[in-house]
Amino acid sequence: MVGSNRSPWLKYGIRIPVFLLALTMLLPYYWMVLGSFKTVPELVKVPPSFFITDPTLNNFYDPLGNKPPNHILGLFQRLTDAPFGFLTFFLNSLFVTVTITVLSLLIASSAAYVLAKLQLPGREIIFIVVVASMMVPWQVLFIPNFLTIKDLGWINTYQGLIIPALPKAFAVFFLRQYMKSLPDEMLEAARIDGASEFRIFGQIVLPLIIPALSAMTIFTVLGEWNNFVWPLIVVQDAEHGTLPLALSRLNSTIFSGPGTQGVLMAASLLASIPTVIMFLAFQKQFVEGIALTGQKG
Amino acid sequence: MAISESNVRPDFTKRTLNARVALFRRMGAGYIMIAPFLILFLVFAVWPIINSLYLSFTDFNGVKAGEFIGTKNYERMWGDERFIKALTNTASYVVLIVSLNTVCGLALAMALRAPSLLNQICRALFFLPAVTSTIAVTVLWRTIFTSADYGLANTILHFFGLKTIVFFSSPEWSIPILVIISLWGGMGGTMIIFLAGLQSISSDMTEAAAIDGATSVQRFWYIILPLLKPTTIYIVITGLIGAFQVFDMVYLIYSTVGNIGGPLDSALTIVPYLYDRGFTRFQLGYASSIAWVLFGIIFIMTMINLRLGRDNK
Repeated sequence: MVGSNRSPWLKYGIRIPVFLLALTMLLPYYWMVLGSFKTVPELVKVPPSFFITDPTLNNFYDPLGNKPPNHILGLFQRLTDAPFGFLTFFLNSLFVTVTITVLSLLIASSAAYVLAKLQLPGREIIFIVVVASMMVPWQVLFIPNFLTIKDLGWINTYQGLIIPALPKAFAVFFLRQYMKSLPDEMLEAARIDGASEFRIFGQIVLPLIIPALSAMTIFTVLGEWNNFVWPLIVVQDAEHGTLPLALSRLNSTIFSGPGTQGVLMAASLLASIPTVIMFLAFQKQFVEGIALTGQKG
Repeated sequence: MAISESNVRPDFTKRTLNARVALFRRMGAGYIMIAPFLILFLVFAVWPIINSLYLSFTDFNGVKAGEFIGTKNYERMWGDERFIKALTNTASYVVLIVSLNTVCGLALAMALRAPSLLNQICRALFFLPAVTSTIAVTVLWRTIFTSADYGLANTILHFFGLKTIVFFSSPEWSIPILVIISLWGGMGGTMIIFLAGLQSISSDMTEAAAIDGATSVQRFWYIILPLLKPTTIYIVITGLIGAFQVFDMVYLIYSTVGNIGGPLDSALTIVPYLYDRGFTRFQLGYASSIAWVLFGIIFIMTMINLRLGRDNK
């Protein structure tokens, strides 16, 4: 076992600072949770407190139910006061992310199957073009895509957010490479038995590529949940905004006084929770997925 | 049954016909299966490349159709002070973040590679920021670096007897702030990839070296590091590509400060400048040419890295 020759001093000498460093990584998160529950006076205290003396939920909503102009602009009040509040943005993000993930992986895996296992004329060229397109940064694409969406009248719509995100070249590339290793004999046997390609794909291939699919699912969910620039361009109203967009608007409108920091912290907290929970629940798949794409990429 | 021409031939033709029909059916299914992706891919990935290239040679401003102006956009770039500033800022940022991220990721992976529970917890802790939304991370760090006395960063500075620093108004702090935030968020991901690379190194070689008397440092430098080269190249390349495209952080912190540039344009990087030109001033032709220059830079960097990786045998 590597490192077994190291003296115990060296082993623990390294571990303790690393462990402390890991705790410092947590510090910003702790700060975020702390700030979410502090009252305005406590937020401006100098030096700031590391333990809450006077916890409050005011950053989330005002329990006294005051009406403007006396009310505290907690986060969920932006649900009741304004027609579209934080919950709307959260649900929008959820809807958009899930739809994009499911649909894009569906079309990517069926395209990958064709490119990997079916003798379609022109499949070599198609694959080369797909791989080449991965080299092009999204900044080259997003101006024409914005113009296309505008001409289609899809600004400020869900389809404007979802449909341009559906063709995922990397997913096709990755899944095709993975499918290449599936045994042809099995597919041939199914064909001889009279199964249609659709059936072969759905009942044989899909179950076999589950590891690759879960890796792609994780990446797509993370990428789409946190996607900022495309919603920034496509959505100008409040009805269709996604979470990063909401957070950004909140940040630019109320990052003025000290009291508002509590609301910002509360918003960041809520925005972070879903992906953190997803990570903690699927840690193993996360790590395996990253390792898998690192090998094939 | 006697096998004669008339017996065999109809059978054979029928079988070939069936086979041909089945083949067409399969090809038909194939086309149907690849069609959704292909159509969307052509519309939203292929066509834009061509369109964007064309736009970069026009003066399109979003209202009237652009007129072809040849390479004027590209010529304009080299005289554009803001663009040059964006280039130099991006270069500093990229160099800093890629080198620090790679080194830190490797150090973490080396330190935490033993399969113990403590290591598992530490690894998860380091990776946690990577799954948090960049926007949430940036908003959080914005409050940490705030110049008011209750900001966390300044509190720590005061604790060590140092004076308050007004981070966001100091030009010399712009790039370092971006690097810090990005490092906090990215170290964990790099660590995971290095860990995967380390696991694929068999311990035979290192054990043999240990038996021969090599110290851990020697083992690391002469055995582990060279074997990690493919992983390192992958990390550097993807790191470069990602770092050149930095946008979210800069926009969130500096969009209202100096036209997305920060104090004295010290935080201006390429993509925010592209956004400013394209979506704030609607100079879409010029913005397209900036996008293509960015593409060119990334492409050249990637090629250089691949070549360097191949030569050093």
